[in-house]
Amino acid sequence: MNAAISILPAHWSRERRSAVSIAIAVAGLVLFLWLMAIPLSWMPEPIGSAAQLFAEGAKTTVQLTVVAGVAGIALGVLAALAKLSKLPPVRWIANFYIWVIRGTPLLVQVLFVFLALPAMIPGLQLSDFNSAVVALAFNVGAYNAEAIRAGILAVHKGQTEAARSLGLTPFMTFRDVVFPQAFRVALPPLVNNIVALLKDSSLAYTIGVVELTNIGNRIQAATFQPIHSLTTVAVIYLLLTTILTQISNAIERQLDVERHR
Amino acid sequence: MSGEDNMKTPDMPQQAMQPGARREAEDKGAPLITAEKVNKHFGHFHVIKDVSTRFYQGEVAVIIGASGSGKSTFLRMLNRLETHDSGKIVIDGIELNENMKNIDAIRREVGMVFQSFNLFPHMTVMNNITLAPRRLRGVTRAQAEETARGLLAKVGMSDHAHKYPHQLSGGQQQRVAIARSLAMQPKVMLFDEPTSALDPEMIKEVLDVMKDLARSGMTMIVVTHEMGFAREVADRVIFFEKGQILEEAPPAEFFGNPKNERIRSFIGQISQAR
Repeated sequence: MNAAISILPAHWSRERRSAVSIAIAVAGLVLFLWLMAIPLSWMPEPIGSAAQLFAEGAKTTVQLTVVAGVAGIALGVLAALAKLSKLPPVRWIANFYIWVIRGTPLLVQVLFVFLALPAMIPGLQLSDFNSAVVALAFNVGAYNAEAIRAGILAVHKGQTEAARSLGLTPFMTFRDVVFPQAFRVALPPLVNNIVALLKDSSLAYTIGVVELTNIGNRIQAATFQPIHSLTTVAVIYLLLTTILTQISNAIERQLDVERHR
Repeated sequence: MSGEDNMKTPDMPQQAMQPGARREAEDKGAPLITAEKVNKHFGHFHVIKDVSTRFYQGEVAVIIGASGSGKSTFLRMLNRLETHDSGKIVIDGIELNENMKNIDAIRREVGMVFQSFNLFPHMTVMNNITLAPRRLRGVTRAQAEETARGLLAKVGMSDHAHKYPHQLSGGQQQRVAIARSLAMQPKVMLFDEPTSALDPEMIKEVLDVMKDLARSGMTMIVVTHEMGFAREVADRVIFFEKGQILEEAPPAEFFGNPKNERIRSFIGQISQAR
C-alpha cells in the first residue's frame, strides 16, 4: 500500500513525502465521507434512493471509530504504564481490567454499558452513541495496553539512563524519550486494533446506534434485496479500512527515522 | 561548594595547563565528590567493598581494572544509576540517597557519557543536545541552539547538527553524546568506557575531544582501558580489583613504578594487547 508515496517526487525528503501522504490520506477520508452519497445515488435501486442514508451511516461508523480509537490509545497508554508500575496494587488493577475485557465478548460489554450500568448506578444513562463509544474505547484500550507495553519494553534501557543522567524527570523521560520510540514499535499492532475497532463498531447496531451496518440491515429488510444492500455495506467498510491502513502506513514512515529512504 | 571553601579553590586554568601534574593536598580545597565506605551487592556478589575516595575540582581521575572489578558500577553510583547498599556519597554538598529531588539536582550537575553513546535515535543531533537545557534550564530554543552550535564546534561536529544518530559513525555519535552532556554545563563529567565500543580508527577522535576537555579544566572521572590517555591526561590513576581500590597514584608513579605485582601484570597485559 505505497500508492500515495510512490507518486510523490523522489527528490523530496522522507519526512516531507510521508507528511504529504498523511495529509492526502486524511483528506481522502474526509472527501470520501463527504461525497460518497453522489456516486451511491447513481447506483440502481434499492441503493440509489438510500444513498444519503448509507453516507450518514458511514459517517457515524467513522465517528465511533475515531472517538473510541483516540480514547482507546489514551487508555492503552495508562493501562500499559500501570502494568509496568512498581506498585503491586496498580499492576493488579491494570491486570484485572485487561483480564475482564479480553475474557468477555464485546457484544456483552456494549449491552452492559447501555443497559446494566444505568441499572447499577442511576444517573449513568448514556446515549446509545456514547454507550457504544465507552464500551469500544475500553475494549480496544485493553488490547492497546499490551501493544504499548511491548513497545515500552523494547526501548533500550540506556535511553532511560541517558535521559535520567541529564537530569530529566521521569515524566520528561517518558514523554520526550521513551514514548516516541515505544509508539513507533507499537504502531503496527495498534493499527491492527484500530482496523478491528472499525469493524467491531458494527456491534453498536444492537443498542440502536444508526451506523453503517444498521442502515444496511434496515434497507435489506425494507426492500427484500439483501445482496445489494449488504454488498454496499461491505464495500464501504473495505474502502474505510483501506484508507485507515494508508494513513497508518504514512504515519509509520513519518516516525521511522532509522530507515534510509 | 560552600562559601568558606572558595578561598581554597585551586587556580584551575593554570593547573589545567599541566595535565598529569599532581596537586598537593593543600591546593585541592574541599572535594567535589566524596565516597565513604561504599558497599554494594548484586545478590550474593559483593561488587563494591568499603570503597572510599575523593575527587577534587579540576581533577582528571582515570579508573582502570579488569572486567568485573566493579569500576563501572562504582562510576554509575556517582549519579545513582546504581544504588549503594551502605556508606555515603556526597556530591557538591548534596548527599545521594533515596531523595529523588537530590538525585535530579545532582544529575543536572554530573554529566555522563556511556559506552554505547545512548543518543536519542528519534531526534536530530541538535535536538539531542538542546532537549535537556530547554526542559530544565529554562532557556529558549534559540538560546539552546546557539549554545549547542558552540559545543558542536568544540567536538568537531558542526556540519552534522541536522542529522539523525544513525547517519553518524560511532566516533561521531560519541562526540555528540559528549556535547549533549556538556550542554547542561555539568560540574563533573563521568565517562563509562567511552571508547570501548569504537573501531580503532575512531578512538583517537573521541580521545582528542576528551583531552581538550581535560585541558579546559573540566573535572573528569574516566573508566577506560586507554593507558595512553591515562598517562597523558590523568592527574590520578585508580586501580580497581575485586571491588576495592588496590592503588591510586599519579600516572608517572602508577605506570613507572607499580607497587603491586597484580598491577604490574595488568599493565603488561594491556600494553601487549594494544
